[in-house]
Amino acid sequence: MKVTRRDLLVWSAGAAAGLVVTPVPWKILDDVSIWSQNWPWIPQPAKGPVEVKQSACTLCPNGCGLRVRMAGGCPVGLSGVNTNPVSRGALCPLGFGAHQLNWHPRRLRNVKHRGNISSWSEASAAFAKAAREGPIVIVDGHPGRSASSVLENFAEKWGGGYRVAMGPETRSLAPYELWSGVPATSLGYDLENTQTIVSFGAPLLDGWGIPGRFPRLWAERAASMNDPQLRIVQADPSLSRTAARAWQWLQVREGSESALAAGLVRALLEQNLVPAHGAIPLATISEAANETGLSADRIRELARTIVAKPPVLAVSPDFNPAVAALNVVLGAVGARGGIVRSSDRTKKYSSVAGAISNVRAVVIDSSVPWDFAAKSDAEVFRFAAWDGGSSKGDWLLPAPGFLEESTDISTPPAYPVETYAVAANLAKPTFEVQTAARFLANLDASAGTPETILHSRCEQLFRSRSGTLYGQTITPMTEIASTQELEKHLWDGAVWVGERCSAKLACELKEWPSASPSSRAGNWTQPWLAPVLPPLASKLYIESNLRGTPGRTV
Amino acid sequence: MSRNTLVFAFGVSFALCVGWIVFPRALYVQKRQPLTFLHKTHAEKSGIADCGECHTLRADGSFAGLPAMEKCTGCHSEKIGDSQAEATLVNNYIKPGTETPWLVYSRQPANVWFSHAIHVKLAGLACSECHSTYGESDQVRTYELNRISGYSRDIWGHSMSRLRRAPHEGMKMSDCESCHQRHQVEVGCLGCHE
Repeated sequence: MKVTRRDLLVWSAGAAAGLVVTPVPWKILDDVSIWSQNWPWIPQPAKGPVEVKQSACTLCPNGCGLRVRMAGGCPVGLSGVNTNPVSRGALCPLGFGAHQLNWHPRRLRNVKHRGNISSWSEASAAFAKAAREGPIVIVDGHPGRSASSVLENFAEKWGGGYRVAMGPETRSLAPYELWSGVPATSLGYDLENTQTIVSFGAPLLDGWGIPGRFPRLWAERAASMNDPQLRIVQADPSLSRTAARAWQWLQVREGSESALAAGLVRALLEQNLVPAHGAIPLATISEAANETGLSADRIRELARTIVAKPPVLAVSPDFNPAVAALNVVLGAVGARGGIVRSSDRTKKYSSVAGAISNVRAVVIDSSVPWDFAAKSDAEVFRFAAWDGGSSKGDWLLPAPGFLEESTDISTPPAYPVETYAVAANLAKPTFEVQTAARFLANLDASAGTPETILHSRCEQLFRSRSGTLYGQTITPMTEIASTQELEKHLWDGAVWVGERCSAKLACELKEWPSASPSSRAGNWTQPWLAPVLPPLASKLYIESNLRGTPGRTV
Repeated sequence: MSRNTLVFAFGVSFALCVGWIVFPRALYVQKRQPLTFLHKTHAEKSGIADCGECHTLRADGSFAGLPAMEKCTGCHSEKIGDSQAEATLVNNYIKPGTETPWLVYSRQPANVWFSHAIHVKLAGLACSECHSTYGESDQVRTYELNRISGYSRDIWGHSMSRLRRAPHEGMKMSDCESCHQRHQVEVGCLGCHE
């Protein structure tokens, strides 16, 4: 029997049809997908004994409590610590996958000089030359750390300036610094004791402040309650997550938050809902109504509503003097449930918001968010763990990644009491990295080292004998026997929480602040830069959008 | 029946034979464990009745897996009996102080986290619900290594079609999901993946 070409084609068709009902295609597909997870260049957690350590997150200044699952000495899983009084068991989506960031494709692995690979010795020589030639400015993102003290000391010794890139929560407290003389970093929102919050677009439930703080408060005191213990009035142009869960949502026009605050003050004074105050906004209620899109009667009704359940606190997402002035009129400044002093420190930091002029070099610490660009023509030495684009600095210097350095964490921005925690380095960098503090300390040892400063801070805390230590157990500081014991607790993941500051806070508002540009107006002409996210975070972001019921938000 | 139909049917039959008979044999390579370990013998002769005596949970609740060599050394510091397995154990592993390189049937990719403590202590599952009667076995199972994925055949299960499997067969994600569905236990992605 002769086998023809047609026979071969028909046989192949039959074989193909038959193959579909065998495990061959499906099993190979499954196995290949598993095989592709184990390609040699894909990082795999080390095999070894599993242990759990407690630490603090260093991604942002909030320092949420971290439970780190380690396999073979390497972090492989993160979760929150329920006993941490600051974060209360919560983490942000980025924090849950932060241990994956160290293997991110955009991890900065080499010293780069204007896009070309260079070396630490060349960078050090270039900075030493620049520092000798003219003044320098050092920019810090998380002030208050031991490393920050090194940066500050170095700037002082070398005749330079120390500037701080404030986060939006601290910037929202900056008007009180101007009016009271108390630094914004020593102020906080007493959210735990307030009963009515008027939010002027602050994303309270979308990601504002400490991830576990406001969502927990809302879940305990407002969720699923017809008459909540904590009333949230959200003025927002769109139905944000916070607006959807607020007690009342005011749909106002974009950028009209200052006008609404002024209109509310007018309505409060007009209806004698607050004591008469010297500073009165120039705008009338009708003008505020025109600008916000609300009716004048609605603004008057809102004024009556918010004072019905004191203490009342107005919150803005960023710097907004009009909202701060509303708090002054409401009597919320220096009062329980309002703006309070977190510490009696009076040291103010210079903000880096303006241009940096007449300097030879600018050092930017890795704690400064990547989207910060120095407004200066000086030579920029940018420390970063992840490369966000070489246009941001003349020198890109690889900094330690997540949990690759030991550091301390001071009071989170806008938190009402002082805190102190330590994050140990639980991961080992696989290439040479340096912190800005170490880089500068190598040039001038008299600036101190983070280790010695951390130790002296622990000594100060021990000597103060005030506050409580939240670790495996809750221990009053009076029961801690020595500095060494305190340090051991802190290195093991405990957090020190101070007592309520008794120092007075008084604001004098001589005139109504002039309108500031809306902080929410985005610059759409700037090129979009993809954020550095671990794979897990993108998955969590998707999941968080699927959470329908309010009870599952936290 | 036309010639074309016959040829087509021959093609189908050929594919079925290859897919169901030849492919599974070609996909898996059979490997022997380094030692002949008999659960039944240990249960009978040493009086070990509880799985947890050797397969312990650590203080933090994580599963310690296979017992370390020091556990074996407790009884086998010197040869007990004349079997070849006993001689191999003592000469190759106990005296040099090296761990036995067991081939682990249940080893999963590193992106999966399974807590024995939660399943045994919290859910109250008996070991046999997942491991069947392996704790009473009097022979060592052959380890079948998947040539492509590099994992044991136990992950997919012995049935290539994955139909009519016993509850303890297979350790794919769908097996976890169906068991959780049966027990009406809901966990998110982070319950198993970190």
